[in-house]
Amino acid sequence: MKLSVAEHWVEAPLKQFVDEARVELAVLLNPSGQVLGQFGFASSVDVMTACALAAATTASSAELGRQVDGRPFSGLHYAGKVRQIFLGRVPMATGSLILFTVFNDESSLGLVHLFFAELCASVAGIVPPEPPATPALAEDFERELNRNLAVMFGRA
Amino acid sequence: MTSPFTTLLASLIRHRGVTGCMVVGEADGMIVDSSLQIGVNGDAFAALTASMYRKARRAAAAAGFGATGFFELDAEGGRMCAAGRNDLVIVVVAEPRVNVGLLRVEMLKALESFG
Repeated sequence: MKLSVAEHWVEAPLKQFVDEARVELAVLLNPSGQVLGQFGFASSVDVMTACALAAATTASSAELGRQVDGRPFSGLHYAGKVRQIFLGRVPMATGSLILFTVFNDESSLGLVHLFFAELCASVAGIVPPEPPATPALAEDFERELNRNLAVMFGRA
Repeated sequence: MTSPFTTLLASLIRHRGVTGCMVVGEADGMIVDSSLQIGVNGDAFAALTASMYRKARRAAAAAGFGATGFFELDAEGGRMCAAGRNDLVIVVVAEPRVNVGLLRVEMLKALESFG
């Protein structure tokens, strides 16, 4: 399985998370759904789909959290029979990112929580060259998304 | 707030040298109930210990040794003991001076309450 990144500053924290938490799939994206780094995906279409769903789910659960608890939910976990999903918000100095990860019984929710907290701590202090939390303009979104996918899957 | 494990944890934390004890889900590594002294990172300990216990169990099964009853980690600055049944693990964090024999008996006895 190969880790690939569109932004070099996410490589070290994402690699450490993947190595330590022993997850099957992981993708780090910004709230508008643009991918910054991924591990375990075989095709760009799968990454694009995962990012779109992760961004939409995060937006929905954040709003649900505001309605229920007065503040957005910061994490979401779904346990399937074989695989589990964890979706969490990664706060940064200039906004936030989203981590979407899939794991099986080689890992556990406790381990994912533990190393997700470490990922958050290592990303918290980073100020990226261009703030990733800024939503892409509608006219630039597809171009930016395709550029990131091309960088990661060797079609740049 | 009390749980079905409050009495069990209270009896373990009373042992001389024990700094923390927890009931942890074996599969998810999350704390069900705990009694910890200040300074013990319970969440990290629970996740890592449950993972080690699970792997030790699988290793013992692969080697044909049968079920793992009691698991002990002896480190320079302390000890960690774990024993589990029915997807729950009792984890005890202790200083090196703890009486492991007594602790082991107490933990195995406590497991009986897990059904």
